[in-house]
Amino acid sequence: MSKLRDHPGLVLSPLSFVVVLVLWEGVSRAGWVAPIVLPPPSRVWDGLVILFTASWFPQHVWLTTAETLIGFVIGGVTAILLAIVMVNVRLFKEVVYPYVVAFQVMPKVVLAPIFITWFGFGMESKIVMAIAISFFPVVINTVVGLESVEENASLLMRSLVASRRQIFCKLAWPTALPSIFAGLKTSLTLALIGALVAEFVTAKEGLGTLITTFSFELKVYLVFAVIIVVSVLGLVLYGLMEYLDRKVVFWRRSHFTG
Amino acid sequence: MLRAHEPIAGAPATTGAIEVRRVTKLFASRNGSAGVEALRDVDVDIRPGQFVAFVGPSGCGKSTLLKLIGGLLDPTAGRITVGGSEVAGPRRDIGVMFQAPVLFPWRTVLENVLLPIEVFGLERRAATEKARQILNLVGLAGRERAYPRELSGGMQQRAALSRVLVIDPPIILMDEPFGALDEFTRERMNLEILRIWQEGRQTIVFVTHSIAEAVFLADRVVVMGTAPGRVLAVIDVPLPRPRSIDLMKSPEFAATVFEVREYLGVAR
Repeated sequence: MSKLRDHPGLVLSPLSFVVVLVLWEGVSRAGWVAPIVLPPPSRVWDGLVILFTASWFPQHVWLTTAETLIGFVIGGVTAILLAIVMVNVRLFKEVVYPYVVAFQVMPKVVLAPIFITWFGFGMESKIVMAIAISFFPVVINTVVGLESVEENASLLMRSLVASRRQIFCKLAWPTALPSIFAGLKTSLTLALIGALVAEFVTAKEGLGTLITTFSFELKVYLVFAVIIVVSVLGLVLYGLMEYLDRKVVFWRRSHFTG
Repeated sequence: MLRAHEPIAGAPATTGAIEVRRVTKLFASRNGSAGVEALRDVDVDIRPGQFVAFVGPSGCGKSTLLKLIGGLLDPTAGRITVGGSEVAGPRRDIGVMFQAPVLFPWRTVLENVLLPIEVFGLERRAATEKARQILNLVGLAGRERAYPRELSGGMQQRAALSRVLVIDPPIILMDEPFGALDEFTRERMNLEILRIWQEGRQTIVFVTHSIAEAVFLADRVVVMGTAPGRVLAVIDVPLPRPRSIDLMKSPEFAATVFEVREYLGVAR
């Protein structure tokens, strides 16, 4: 119990959530806000029940998840490969890196309509959007990670007459992993955003489509329900990456001894 | 395992000998103007199996000289030969130890020690047994599977030392290896180095800014000065071996330390 006394937030945080829900419910029931604008939590719950009992719902969840993951994997792998080439071929980096930084700064969502034009209304345009948005953080984090090798460590490898390949595999790559994973975690969340935004623009299926459709139909309680599903999806994906990160980069919290 | 390094068949009798001839090292400055002269006209001779210490203040180029011998830097002028052949880059008959342990945090102690074996492409199984023996010898028995972060600074340097010993190099270069450790640990490590050297008879070049440490450890002390970095004197240490801490009380020890101090101009 002393743990709770030391960390009152453990109790107060969920408690505040309940308080907000109760207030929200009260305000809505009292008629201060029209339920069509802000449906009470109980109505949102009904919406969730509707979604999860509907036979058409899982395929929307699945589609958005698939677009996100496929885009993330393609974007992430290409980004890591590009970064490796950039770090190893100086000239290539000098030519390409400025563009990478420029694209990183650009809000990629502006590309969504073009991608729909180029790749159609289906899954492809959403995947491309997810790739475009998840690509750059991984490139930059991988480059930064690979270049953060400590002077002493590379001196050690040089003193052992290690080959370039050995230096990369045994030193640079592991050194870069914490940074790469930081980039991947950001990217996975971004990939979900990319898929949803592309769905907003035009799509026949997917969670983003459900949000726009329900909004047009003024079924705000269902919009809220989908938003909750999307949030949980984002949390689950992030949680998986976090888990992977801790498994792979188990030494993260220890600094390089040197 | 730590027996005197057996000369490789056909290797010259000079294995482990180091010759530094009129070596100058300039570091170019960033803006392209006249660089810094880290070393000027340095001559040093080190016989196989000798324990030599480079001592001097910061900026005297002692670490630079060590890196030049190890082939980690190229001299601007002059030449360096190791074991009879000119140094043209890093080489595997030289083991290097830095001030920081430079252990990889994703590798266990044993895996860190086996790093050179992997890089050299040697058979891992036999080396593992040898690595365990060495870890025993340096007092890290039972810590093979620990990660560097779980070790104290002294233990980390012991692991770094094991990583050098595992490849049996006839020459070991040590760049202030215990400079970051506390005095007590440092003294213990010095005794351990002497014990290991006594058995292995490697050529050891030991860089330090502690005069007492240099005199206590070495057969010869190369005293270096700054601006430009150069050799001020080479002093033979007349102390008997094997050495123990008691030796520090002896008048010979004090006299040698004082002699070094005089050359460094810090005795007055």
